[in-house]
Amino acid sequence: MILRQFLSLRKAGVLGMNRRNAEYIMRFNRRSSFPLVDDKLLTKQLSLKHGIPTPPLYHVVSHHGGIAGFERALADRQEFVLKPARGGGGSGIILITDRRDGRFITQSGKMISKDDIHYHISDILSGIYSLEGLEDKAVIEGLIHPDQVFGKVTYEGVPDVRIIVYRGVPAMAMVRLPTRQSDGKANLHRGAVGVGIDIGRGKTLDGVRRSGGIMHHPDTGELLRDIEVPFWEKMLLMAAQSTDMTGLGYLGVDLVIDEKDGPLLLELNARPGLQIQIANRKGLLERLEMIDRAPKEIFISLEKRIAWAIQNFAEPNS
Amino acid sequence: MKRPALWLAVFFFLIPLSLIGYRVLRLGYPLLPTSPVKAWGLTMEIFFETAGGNGKEIEIRAGLPESRSGQTVIEQRDLSGTLRFNIMPEGLNQIGVWSGDPEEGRVLSYRATILLNPKRLRKPKPPGPESFPAIIGDKSEQILAKRLIERFASLKAPEKLKTIAATAKGVWGEPAPDERDLKQWSEIQKKYGAEGALLILLRLVDFPVRKVQGFVLAESVATQPDRWIAVWTGQKWEHIQPETGDLYSESVCLLPLMIGDTPLVSISGGKLQEVRWNLSKQTLSQWRAHFERIYRSGRFLDRWSLFGIPKEFQEIFRILLLVPIGVLMISVLRNIVGFPTFGIFMPVLMALAFRSTGLSYGLGIFAGVVLMGYLLRRGIDRLRLLLVPRLSFLITFVILAFTVFALIGSKFGVREFMAIGLLPFVILSMTIERFFILIEESGALQALRTAAGSAAVAAITYKIIQIDPLQLTFFVYPELLFAIMGLLLLLGNYSGYRLSEILRFKILGEKS
Repeated sequence: MILRQFLSLRKAGVLGMNRRNAEYIMRFNRRSSFPLVDDKLLTKQLSLKHGIPTPPLYHVVSHHGGIAGFERALADRQEFVLKPARGGGGSGIILITDRRDGRFITQSGKMISKDDIHYHISDILSGIYSLEGLEDKAVIEGLIHPDQVFGKVTYEGVPDVRIIVYRGVPAMAMVRLPTRQSDGKANLHRGAVGVGIDIGRGKTLDGVRRSGGIMHHPDTGELLRDIEVPFWEKMLLMAAQSTDMTGLGYLGVDLVIDEKDGPLLLELNARPGLQIQIANRKGLLERLEMIDRAPKEIFISLEKRIAWAIQNFAEPNS
Repeated sequence: MKRPALWLAVFFFLIPLSLIGYRVLRLGYPLLPTSPVKAWGLTMEIFFETAGGNGKEIEIRAGLPESRSGQTVIEQRDLSGTLRFNIMPEGLNQIGVWSGDPEEGRVLSYRATILLNPKRLRKPKPPGPESFPAIIGDKSEQILAKRLIERFASLKAPEKLKTIAATAKGVWGEPAPDERDLKQWSEIQKKYGAEGALLILLRLVDFPVRKVQGFVLAESVATQPDRWIAVWTGQKWEHIQPETGDLYSESVCLLPLMIGDTPLVSISGGKLQEVRWNLSKQTLSQWRAHFERIYRSGRFLDRWSLFGIPKEFQEIFRILLLVPIGVLMISVLRNIVGFPTFGIFMPVLMALAFRSTGLSYGLGIFAGVVLMGYLLRRGIDRLRLLLVPRLSFLITFVILAFTVFALIGSKFGVREFMAIGLLPFVILSMTIERFFILIEESGALQALRTAAGSAAVAAITYKIIQIDPLQLTFFVYPELLFAIMGLLLLLGNYSGYRLSEILRFKILGEKS
C-alpha cells in the first residue's frame, strides 16, 4: 500500500526531501560556496562583478552602533526595503513605501515608528532572523516596483520568479504571487500562490496554494494560466549564469521584474524547496535525470544550455 | 546505497554480533538477558544443646554449597548469635565452622542464594588425585564381588556403570550368575547397605567414585540430606541413587554439600537436636542476577562490564545507553515519516526529563510552562529587548515557574511537581521563543501542529527508554551501540520518499 504510493511518486518523477538533500544538495553544492548565497550582501557583490543586475544597495548596518546613523544614510529616500543579510524564508523583511513625520509606512499601509525600525534592525543584528542564529547585518536596498504583468494576480507585494537550475541548466520555474494571507510576501509557506512556468514558452501554467491546486488567484479571482512572462530568455540566462558564478550545481534563483529596470536577481538559494513541483504538476526528479542524460556538448556554453532547456522542457499542449 | 557506507554499516553490525556471540557462547551470558533467572534459596537451621553448663566452647561443622561449574553462590548470610562463623575449604568441600560459647542461643541458621546457569557448564574436570572411599569388605567378599563382575569386563564404561548400578535392584542380566553367589551377595548388601555394596563393585572396576551428601533441588523441607554416589566414567560425572540403582537424569539439578564420609553436620561439645534444610525457588531481579554473576567473574569482558562501575554511576548509564535509541527514533520519525518537531533533539531531552516527572505530569508541566512563557513573551515583545537578554529573561522566568511549581508540589505533596527541576530549562526557553516566532510567522495552527509533533515524539521516546528489558539488554551488551550506529548509517543513506510526502505530493502521484 505505502510502497505502491512510493512507486507512483517515483513514476511521476517526484523529488523527495531526502533525495534532494543527499543526492543533489550534498553532491552538487559545496559547503564552502554556501556563504555566497546565504549572505545576500555577498550575492549582490558577486552579481555586480558578473554583470547580473540586482536591486540597488543603499546602506548596510553591521553593528548596533550604526543603527542611529541609518536615517542619515537614507537621506531623503522615501521608499526602501530593510532585510537581514542572512535571513531565510522571507522573515525579517520590511518594505517601506513612504515616510511621514519621522514615521515609516509599510507596503501594507501600517505605520511604524522610528523606534520600531531601530528595534527591528537591532533584532536583525542579533541574528534572530539569520539561518544559524549568528550575528547578522541589516541591508537597506531599493524598493522594487513590479512590472504590471502579474498585477491582476497579485495582492500587494512583489511577485517573484523562482527558477531551479541544475548543473547550469534551468530545470523548472514558477512565479510566486503574494496573497492577502501571505501579507504581501511571496513565500509559499506563508500562503502565497505558486504558478508553474512553461520553460519552453515562458507562459504560466496552473497554480498551487498550500498543498492544493488552484486555477484563479484567491484574492483577485483572475485566471492564473497563460500569462506571458516578459524577458523570459533573459531571465533564464541570468539564472544559468548564477550557477557559473557560485559553482553551486543545484540552485534556486529568485528574480523580480522591475517596471523600469527589468529582471533583477533578488537572491539565491542553495536549498530550494520542493513545492515548485506541485506548481508545475510535474516531478522535478524526472527533469534532473533528463539533464543528466543530455549530450555533453551543451554544457560547454550558457546559450546551448538555455536552448536545450527551452527545447526539451516545453509543455506539449499549452 | 553508497558502497562505503554499506560496508561500514555491515562492519558496525559485525562488532556487536561477534562480541555478543562470544559472550553467549563462551562466557555463558543468556542470549536474551531478560529470560527468567533460576535461583534457589537454601536455608539451614541447626538446633543443638550444649553438653556442659554455660561457658563451655562448642564447635559445629556443616557442609555448605560452593560455587562451581553451573552454579554460583551469590549470597550467604548467617545468624550465629555469639558464635564465630568461618567458612573454610576442606578438600573438595566448603565447610562452615561455628565455634565459641553459645551462651543463650540454641539455634543457628545459614542462608545462601544459589544461581543456576546450566549454560555455563564447562567441560567437566576429571577427578584429580584424591582419596576415594576406602575399599570395604574382607578378602572372601572381594573375591565374590570379583567373580560377579567378571561378566561385565567387556562393556564400555557408561554401560558398565549402568549395569553395575542395576545390581542394586537385583538385576544381573542373562545368563543369571550362580544362585549361591547371589545369595551371598544379598547378605553383603544387608551387611554394608546398598551403598556399600555398590561401592565395592565400583571400586573393583576402577571407577573413581565419590560419596556425596546434598540435595536434589526441589522445593522441600528436609531433616536428612539426600545421598548419592558420583562416578566418573571418563567423560563426565554420573550420579547414582544407591537404594534403587537408578542414574539421575541430566535434567535433575543436584546440590552437593559434602563429599566423602564426614557427616554433613557434626558437633563437638554438644548435641545436635535437629537440622532442617529448606529449599525454595527464588525469583531474582535481572539486574541483581547479572550483577552477581559478572561481578564474580575474572573474564576480561566481565571485568570491563558496566556492572563494574560504582552503583551511582550505573544508574546514569542505564539511561544514557538508551539515548541513542531515542535519537534513532527521531531520525526515523523525521526522515522516514516526516514529523515536524521544535529543534531536532528537544524531544529526546524532554523524554529524559519525563523520567523524573512521569509522562502525564511532564507533558502537563511542559504545556503549562510553554503557554505561560508564550504569554510572557507576547507581553515583553513591545519592550524591544535585545535577543540575548530576552532569551535570558525567558530562562529566568522558566526557572521561576519551576520554583513556584516545586513550592506548590511541596505544599500539596505532589512529588512530580518537585522533580520539575530536572526539565531542560534552556530547551524549554528556546521552545517558548520558537513557538512565539512560529505563531507570528506561520500561524497558530502550524505552531500547535509542531508542538503536538514534539510532544508525541517525546512521549514515544519516553515510553521506549522506560522499557526495563531494553535498558538491561543495552547495559549488559553496550556493544549494541555499534548496531545503532550501523542503523544510523543506513538511515543516513535513505534517499527515498518520506511518508508525509505521499500526502504532500498527492496531486503528482495521482496524475501518473
